[in-house]
Amino acid sequence: MVDGKLSSGPMVAITVLRVAIGWHFLYEGIAKLTSASWSAAGYLKQARGPFAGLFKWLAGEPNLLANADLITMWGLTLVGILLILGLFTRLASLGGIGFIVLFYLCNPPFVGYFYSIPAEGSYLIVNKNLVELCALVVVLVTGSGRFAGLDRIVHGLVGRRLARK
Amino acid sequence: MAGEDDKGKGAGRAGASGPKKLDRRDVLKGLSTVPALGLFGYAWQKQRQYQQARIEAAAAQPAAAADLQEINVAILGAGAQGQVLTDAMLRIPGLRFRAVCDVWTEYNQRRLVNQLKKFKHEINAYEDYREMLDKEKELDAVVIATPDFWHSPHAVDCLKAGKHVYCEKEMSNTLEGARAMVAAARETGKLLQIGHQRRSNPRYLHCYEKLLGEAKLLGRIVTISGQWNRAVAPDLGAPDRYTIPEARLKQYGFKDMHQFRNWRWYKGLGGGPIVDLGSHQIDIYTWFLGVNPSHVMASGGQLYYDPKTHEWYDTVMAVYDYDTPAGPVKAFYQTQTTNGSQGYFENFMGDQGTLLISESETYGAKLYRDTNAPAWDTWVQKGYVSAPKVQEMKEKDDAAVTDVRESVSPDEHKVSIVLRDPYHQPHLQNFFDAVRGKAKLNCPPEVGFESAVSVLKVNEAIEAKSRLSFGPEDFHV
Repeated sequence: MVDGKLSSGPMVAITVLRVAIGWHFLYEGIAKLTSASWSAAGYLKQARGPFAGLFKWLAGEPNLLANADLITMWGLTLVGILLILGLFTRLASLGGIGFIVLFYLCNPPFVGYFYSIPAEGSYLIVNKNLVELCALVVVLVTGSGRFAGLDRIVHGLVGRRLARK
Repeated sequence: MAGEDDKGKGAGRAGASGPKKLDRRDVLKGLSTVPALGLFGYAWQKQRQYQQARIEAAAAQPAAAADLQEINVAILGAGAQGQVLTDAMLRIPGLRFRAVCDVWTEYNQRRLVNQLKKFKHEINAYEDYREMLDKEKELDAVVIATPDFWHSPHAVDCLKAGKHVYCEKEMSNTLEGARAMVAAARETGKLLQIGHQRRSNPRYLHCYEKLLGEAKLLGRIVTISGQWNRAVAPDLGAPDRYTIPEARLKQYGFKDMHQFRNWRWYKGLGGGPIVDLGSHQIDIYTWFLGVNPSHVMASGGQLYYDPKTHEWYDTVMAVYDYDTPAGPVKAFYQTQTTNGSQGYFENFMGDQGTLLISESETYGAKLYRDTNAPAWDTWVQKGYVSAPKVQEMKEKDDAAVTDVRESVSPDEHKVSIVLRDPYHQPHLQNFFDAVRGKAKLNCPPEVGFESAVSVLKVNEAIEAKSRLSFGPEDFHV
């Protein structure tokens, strides 16, 4: 490690991490898109914690809900594809972080709140959503797409054009 | 990959490299994660094949394979209840879905058509049921799950077009409508099954035939109570892009989209919770007692919801009188829509025992033998009821004083009949068996009519604020 920049070993590991997160996002999105009747309403109605009111209100507004459903389905899919390909990686990471922040706040494992659906593990403050969020922060700050991903090609092309000017 | 990079081009230093030539290594590394997308595509394809195989495995056998005469079916009304009935019908062998008719072409109709196509049925979609009846000449049966005020015109026209009809309860929101349905069924000789599906539920049939009919476990039934408690629910809505144009709403009897989505609460369209929920259970009172009620008094009101959008009573409490050959019976029924605790059940109390029964598996069917009653050993040995779970004596703390007037808690027996199919499946199966000439309808129109008379009278009694009586001619068509 020189000047805070990572050598290729860690970068390979982070690329694997990026592809895995992308895969997860992509399937979450596609599974919703291909389901006949998926809607975020059920999830939103289960909201707990300090922002529960907001999420529950959203569930009761058909127009907003329909948009939220569309944004979630297509957003997750798009973020997933971009992360796997390493294209616009920083933007995709930010988008993914945005989604996870919302999922996290919808059911935050804060002290004293419990989720009515049985969870598969035990969580206090930190749950798997938050871990995936942190992993995306790593992808974001290391620009993994420029190491192994289409960003490298895009960056190269744009760089050449800029250099010619 | 790492080794290549070790040659020190600094590409790992993301963003650090300035303008540079794009070389072969850049392209290779740039494309290095693309195969992951291909791998995903492969895995997804496998997953889809698996899901499709599951759908096909879950689908009932086609007629030829099941060695049955094929029945061509149309669904009239593709809303929530149409969906429930379709899900159940997809498990019944020998059905061929031909058409779906719903005025909400933007949403419900499309959803149901897509679902049936997944099961490889070729479906024609219609907005107007008359057009469907004109064009679908080969239809044998129509399953109706439209709002109550449409039941009568829909059922009558389908019967007159020569189709057998399964129609959701309440048979009609008016007695004239219900009468017209009975008349049409008689006139055409076609079958009309009304959707009081508990009448085909194996648990209810067992209790009716074996426990009350043969074993007479309850002795003389004196009181009944029953309830359907339902939690507060927001009004149903619809996204603007699925809104039905006003002209079409008007054409089908709705003043706006809110009314279309929440018709159950509107007078002239539905009958309110007492009809939506109570009618199933009050039908059981009458069925198990074997006589129609003689009187009803009721109290109800809009205690919780805005009366402007909820014209019917959200809370109803009713008391029926029955004159049975064994003696008089009082039957209480309550429905409220503010708290779903304790759900729904019917509870029959006789001098020898109690039967608590519900369509819901939460309750199933439980019997309590009164301590004065003759032993039920024979019925336990026959498997009619389970061996008793003796009620545990409560730990007596010092403060508790036993009152000699307090009855000893009865033993609890269970009925071990569990319906593993969707609730409506046996009733639909009974209907299609009858279409094939292999069964008698469990809820023919005359029975549905009697039930409608009993239930619709509750709303009348609330308005009249007095005890209303039924004459024998009221139940006659």
